[in-house]
Amino acid sequence: MQPILQAQNLRFCYDSGAPALDGVSLDVHAGERIAVLGPNGAGKSTFFLCLNGVLTPESGQIVLQGKPVDKKMRKTLCERVGIVFQNADDQIIASTVAAEVSFGPMNLRLPRQEVARRVDHALDYMDLQAFRARPPHDLSGGEKKRVSIADILAMESEIILLDEPAASLDPVGEERLERVLARLSDEGRTLLISTHDMDFAFRWATRAVVFSAGRILADGTPQTVLANQAVLRQAHLRRPMLLEVWDALRARELVPQDAPCPRTPEELTRLLDHQRDSGNTASFSKHDLRVNYAVLP
Amino acid sequence: MTQKQRKLVRLTACAALLCGVVPTAGAMHIMEGFLPPSMCILWGVIALPFLLAGYFSLKKTVARDRRAVTLVAMAGAFIFVISPLKIPSVTGSCSHMTGTGLGAMLFGPAAVSILGVIVLLFQAILLAHGGLTTLGANTFSMSVVGPFVAFGIYRLCLRCKVNKKASVFLAAALGDLLTYCVTSVQLAVAYPSATGGVSGSVLEFLGVFAPTQLPLAVLEGVLTVIIMMALEAYAQPELRAVGFEEANA
Amino acid sequence: MNHGHGHGPRSIDRLAYQSGMGGWNPVFKTTLAVGTLVLCLAADRPAVSVAVIVALAALQKGKGGLPLQDYLGLLLVPLTFLLLGGVAVACDVSAAPAGDWNLPLPWFYLCASADSIRFAAALVLKALGAVSAMYLLALTTTACELVDVLRRAHLPPLLCELMYLIYRFVFVLLDMYGRMRQAAGARLGWRDFRSSCRSFGGTAGNLLVLALRRSRVYADAMTARGYDGDLRFLEEEKPVYGRQIAGMLLFWGILLALAI
Repeated sequence: MQPILQAQNLRFCYDSGAPALDGVSLDVHAGERIAVLGPNGAGKSTFFLCLNGVLTPESGQIVLQGKPVDKKMRKTLCERVGIVFQNADDQIIASTVAAEVSFGPMNLRLPRQEVARRVDHALDYMDLQAFRARPPHDLSGGEKKRVSIADILAMESEIILLDEPAASLDPVGEERLERVLARLSDEGRTLLISTHDMDFAFRWATRAVVFSAGRILADGTPQTVLANQAVLRQAHLRRPMLLEVWDALRARELVPQDAPCPRTPEELTRLLDHQRDSGNTASFSKHDLRVNYAVLP
Repeated sequence: MTQKQRKLVRLTACAALLCGVVPTAGAMHIMEGFLPPSMCILWGVIALPFLLAGYFSLKKTVARDRRAVTLVAMAGAFIFVISPLKIPSVTGSCSHMTGTGLGAMLFGPAAVSILGVIVLLFQAILLAHGGLTTLGANTFSMSVVGPFVAFGIYRLCLRCKVNKKASVFLAAALGDLLTYCVTSVQLAVAYPSATGGVSGSVLEFLGVFAPTQLPLAVLEGVLTVIIMMALEAYAQPELRAVGFEEANA
Repeated sequence: MNHGHGHGPRSIDRLAYQSGMGGWNPVFKTTLAVGTLVLCLAADRPAVSVAVIVALAALQKGKGGLPLQDYLGLLLVPLTFLLLGGVAVACDVSAAPAGDWNLPLPWFYLCASADSIRFAAALVLKALGAVSAMYLLALTTTACELVDVLRRAHLPPLLCELMYLIYRFVFVLLDMYGRMRQAAGARLGWRDFRSSCRSFGGTAGNLLVLALRRSRVYADAMTARGYDGDLRFLEEEKPVYGRQIAGMLLFWGILLALAI
């Protein structure tokens, strides 16, 4: 299947001279959930800005649905690829929530009615109708985050880039965010999320791309990429907790050696229950369980 | 009571009155409705050419780089924000900076004239400082004369190889002082004294506001120096971005 | 004496968003406020000034839902200037005693006459009337609506854009400065005059640096949503009613009658 968006050999330098992107190539397919990983300064944010058309790479090109993006197509790129910035305050410029969400569609020069419809839809999606007429400086961090996502929803982009979206959210906010991400995915949108949360990346992503020093170090399924010690070391990434637990279980032959690591604690629990119930040699005995629990601090 | 004692009592009474009536020292915005309509229009007309020059200069800047509009807006927001901030005061009463002198030295007086009028409008709408009818008069004194004088003195001092800190101080303080003088003249022309005419009235208004404005000018000068030094130490790339370094050269 | 330090930029702004008259058409509100302001100044009659003050106070309470006490507090914000300016206008300095009342001072006489005091009083009333009219605008119309009105009045788009952005950025900077001030306070930055000066200079300088850096991110964020030099937002349509226009004309009619 043809990739929906391609980055081909992107190179970009900031004024200070240090190369932020040093030959980055990536093919993005429709419907993918890509976790973009890497330490601060690795080039993730710069990459996102290039993908959306804000920054023009010095060399290399962006290809949107088979067509290379030139100056004329810049606007289309903006429309089809939306960025939600890490800090909602950096993105919000209007004086009411409704005006803010209307900014994107107005820039697309859509008729008034269409803009109003999109604004309404986006506000409903993010549960913000009650805040329509409120000024952004009166909102909490989580509410501002929702506004920044509603901004992009109103542009009806097929590809959405989120730069560390959970960075300043509390657990309630994080849960809400994951529900929104699930809904967006179900609608068929392509999502790229840059994150430091390995556990989130491990459970949510269908693909993990690791950046380091302006280059892509690894690109594959989360299970393969995040189990690769060399990659993790070079990119200064932590292993997801479940992988650590899984390795410990495997080392004690409590779970099959060749089974893939479960993506969530619930999946792990189900697997262990299944093993116990099916009388597998690698299962716990009820007695062991009790003893083990007694030993736990 | 002897004659001397009576004089002393009167003197202290006046001082107390002044200190009591003047608990705060604000930058000199002429309040809403204080000027007759003819004066409002007159000062607006006088300020207009400077504003036009500022507008075209900004237009050119933004045409060169569309993204500069957020930079210019930030500068304006900064000038606004710096004004209601309580600055430290010896007497404990509150004082406020104008920030237009600093703005003029960093961004040039033409840009500051436009930013200044926007800031003045917002100060009237958000802080009830100054007014809509007195916008013309306040613009002339605070956004035109103050910044141009501050900028001129700054460049002059630099050209005469005066120490940087002293140049900044003189520019900011004198810009402030001149703003206060112009405001006094504006008030005096509107309300000439019965006995002394306009000149007498100028002296009156200068005198009434002097106890607060003179120390304020000095304080603004000192604070502007501190801010500039902090910027020079930490913000070279940003200053270059606004063309400050070139203006400085 | 209350200089109104409780009234930072946030308080009047918040009142504008919460006003009972927020649903009125902004062009109508602007016309009413500016028209009343001009009438009050042009008429220059204490009767007109008092009528304006009372009528607008009633309007703010009745339609705007603003408690009278708060409104009076707001009216007194320009008190310092009012008093100083009023005194300067009422009194005169002269080498010899003149006028109806004199206060002998070390080098000169401070004199006032019944006329000058009457004049100053009328001026104070006129100023208060003008301030009431200005508050009619400031307390019921949000800044962004005001910018929109100016845009419709054909103010150049660049200026409208700057005003809109400056308004938003002001609150961003206020937040940033508040946090910095707290951080400095946690390290005793404001304990005396000298350290206060240093802290203020440092935080203000830091604020400017961060502000300038932030402006670049804002530019990126706006470009990312297709901004191409024309700042536009969807404005809500608010209707004007015949009875509002009639009320306004009636009010102005009364003022004119009082003026003549």
